[in-house]
Amino acid sequence: MTDPGGSSRPQPTRSEATGQPGGSARPGPGVPPGAMFGPGSQFHRFFNDPRWALAMLRATVLEAAHPQVGAALIDNSTFVAHPWRRLRNTLVSLQRMFGTDDHARQREAARLNRLHARLSGTDTRRRRYHAMDPQVRAWVVATLFESSVTMCRLSGQPLDQATMEQLYAEFRAFLAALEDGPGQLPPTLPEFWSYYDHMVAEVLENTEAMRIILYKLFDHIPAPPLLDGLPTVWAAGRALAGPVVSAITVASLPEPFRRRAGLPEVPGARTLMQSTYTAVGLARFLPDEWIRTETLTGLLYLSPDGDDPRAAAFGALRERMKQAGAFVRLVTPLSTPGAPASPAAPRRSAAEFFTEVLDQTGDGYLEWPDLAAMAREISSRLDLDEPQETRLYDAYAAWWRELQAALDADGDGRVSRQEYAAAVPSLAGPALIRVAEVLFDVTDKDGNQVIDEDEYRALFRTGLRRSVAGSAPRYTRSAFVKDFLSFMSGRLRSSPYDPLLTKA
Amino acid sequence: MPSHVACVMDGNGRWAARRSLPRTSGHRAAEATVIDVIEAARTAGVRWLSLYAFSTENWQRPDDEVDFLMWLVRRVVRKHAALLHARGIRCRFLGVADPRIPAPLARDFADLMTLTATNRGMTLTVAFDHGGRADIVEAARSLIRSGVPADAVDERQFAAHLPFPDTPDVDLVIRTSGEQRISNFMLWQVAYAEWVFPPVLWPDFRAPHFVECLRTYQSRDRRFGGVTPHANGEPHP
Repeated sequence: MTDPGGSSRPQPTRSEATGQPGGSARPGPGVPPGAMFGPGSQFHRFFNDPRWALAMLRATVLEAAHPQVGAALIDNSTFVAHPWRRLRNTLVSLQRMFGTDDHARQREAARLNRLHARLSGTDTRRRRYHAMDPQVRAWVVATLFESSVTMCRLSGQPLDQATMEQLYAEFRAFLAALEDGPGQLPPTLPEFWSYYDHMVAEVLENTEAMRIILYKLFDHIPAPPLLDGLPTVWAAGRALAGPVVSAITVASLPEPFRRRAGLPEVPGARTLMQSTYTAVGLARFLPDEWIRTETLTGLLYLSPDGDDPRAAAFGALRERMKQAGAFVRLVTPLSTPGAPASPAAPRRSAAEFFTEVLDQTGDGYLEWPDLAAMAREISSRLDLDEPQETRLYDAYAAWWRELQAALDADGDGRVSRQEYAAAVPSLAGPALIRVAEVLFDVTDKDGNQVIDEDEYRALFRTGLRRSVAGSAPRYTRSAFVKDFLSFMSGRLRSSPYDPLLTKA
Repeated sequence: MPSHVACVMDGNGRWAARRSLPRTSGHRAAEATVIDVIEAARTAGVRWLSLYAFSTENWQRPDDEVDFLMWLVRRVVRKHAALLHARGIRCRFLGVADPRIPAPLARDFADLMTLTATNRGMTLTVAFDHGGRADIVEAARSLIRSGVPADAVDERQFAAHLPFPDTPDVDLVIRTSGEQRISNFMLWQVAYAEWVFPPVLWPDFRAPHFVECLRTYQSRDRRFGGVTPHANGEPHP
C-alpha cells in the first residue's frame, strides 16, 4: 500500500502543511473527488494508525457478539489456534478491498464470497447461520466503521461530520463491492446510528465466541513465529498484557451492551481505556516507517528460519532475547519440582501433531472445519481461482470422509484426540495422496510438472533449499507427494509444511 | 602461562570417608573448590579451563549418588550462572548426550551455554557425561559421513570433527588426590599435556594449590617429542 507523505493520516496540522484544501477531511488534490478506495480515502488514514489495532479488536468483539457471526466463528475460525495467520490474512484482504486496483478488488471480493459461501451451519441453539447472509455481512462492516469512529472519539480527536460521512460512504462501498449490490447498510449516517443502536440493544448477545476473544484468546495466544523460541518472555508479557487488553476492550464497548451481556465494570478501566487510546494515538508522531501496519504484521509473520533479509536482521535481536530468556530461566528459583516439557523431538507425538497441525480451530476435535481451514489457508496463499480452489476443497473433503470412516470410533461425527492417537497409521490413505497430488497441481501454476523457485515460494514463503550440485532447484511431483505424506503421517518436524500448517 | 588447563576433580569420596561423612557431602564440598579454581584461573590469565565433572563410566555408580550428582550440578549451575556470566566466562558442556540426564538439567546446560555464548573472557568447558574415546568415535563417524577420501584425512582435519573443534590442546592437566590415571579424559586434546598430581583431595584444593600447579608447569621443559634446545651439555640459562 502506498501512503505518500503520510498525508492521509488523521492529523490536521500535517495536512494543512501539505496544503490540502479543507483540512484532512477530504481527499488530496491528486485524487479524483469522490474516490471511495485507494490512498485518498478515509479508510487509508486509519489503516496505518496504531489505534486501529485496538479498534479492530473491539470490532471483532462486537462482530462475535452477533449470534450468527459468533456461531460461524466458533465452528470455523482458526483464530484461537492460529491468531497471527488469521490477522495477517484479514489485513491483506482489507488492503486489497480498499486498494486502488479495481480488478484486484473484484477478485478479492469473489474470493471472499467463495470462502464465505462455504461457511454455514447451526449454532448450539439450533439456529441456522450462513456467512453469506446479507444482514450478517452488513453487521460486520458496521462494526468496522463504528469502531473506527469510536476510536477517534475515545482518543479525544473526534471526526467531524463530513469526514464521518465520507468514511461511512467508503464502508458502504466496501460492502457493495462485496455483495455486488447495494448491501444492507442504511443509506445515510443518521439511519445508521439508529440501526446500530437497535443492533446493540436487541440483537447482540453474550456469545461464546465473544467470551473466547475477550478472556481466552489472550491467555493462550501463541507467540508469533519470530518469538517462538522465547516462550518465557512471551508468556510473561502475555500474562501482564492479556487482562489489560481485555479490560480496555470491555470498557470501550457500548454501555447498553455491557449491561445486557453482564460484562464486568472494573474500576478505572474506562480511564485506562481512554488513556490507552490517547497514548497509542500519540504514536502518529513516530516515523511513518515504524508504524506501517504492513511492516508490523509482516514482522509478526516472519519465520525465524525463513530466508527473508529482515529475519536475518532480526536474528541478532532474537539472540539477545534468547539470552534474556535463558537468564530468566536460570535465575528463577526452583520452586516447582515438575519437569518442563522435554525439548522438541524431530518427530511429533500423535497428540502434538493433532494439536499443532490437525486441530486448526483449536477446539480439541478434528472436524470438517479444521480441514477446510487448511484448504482455505493454502488457497489464499496460492491465490487460487476457480476451478482449482474447488478441486482443492473437494480433495480435502474426500480426505475428511476417509478420516471420518477410519478414525471416528464412537460415531459422533468428529475425531477426538484419543481416537486419532489410537489409529495413527491409517492416516495415509488414498484420499490423502489425492490431496497431495491436487496440492501439487495447484501449486504448479505453469503446469510444467515441476515446482520451481517462484511456485515454491508462493506456497511456503521461503526459498527452495539448494541442492549441493548447485543446479537450479526443482521439486518434482513424486518428491512433493512423498514429503507431504511423510509430514502428514510421519509427523516430521522441520519440513517446509511445518510453517505452512502449524505456525500461529 | 598455560593457555588451556584441565582439572580432573578426584577425591571427593575419600574426603568424605576420612570425615566419616556420606560420599554425597564430598561432592557438596567440591562446589566451593570449583568456584575457587575458576576464579584463580581467571586471575592467573588462563584462557581455557576444563573441568572433568562426570564421565560416561560414572553412570555405574550407585543410583542414589548419580541422582544426587544430577541434582547438585543443576543447583550449582543455576546458583552461579549469573556470576559466571558477569565475569565474562563462556561456559560449554562437553558430552551431555546420555538420555539419562534429566531434561531440566539439560535445559539448564543449554540455557547457560546460550546465555554466555558471546562472552569473550575465559572459556570454561565442563566435561559432563564425557568420554574421550566416545568423542573420537563420534569424530570418526562425522568424518565418514562427510565423505572425505581416506588419504585426505590428516590430524588437523580429524580434529575439526571433534566436539568444540575450536578448543586448543590441553597444556596442563591437574589431577587431585594423587591418583595417576587418564580415565578417558579428553584423550585427543591431552596428547602433549603436562600432568601434575597434587596429593591434596579436590574438596581441599584451593587457589594457592592451583597457582602452585601453574608454577610446576612453568618449570617443566616441554619438548613435544623433540629434544631440548639445551642438549649436548650446553649450560641452562
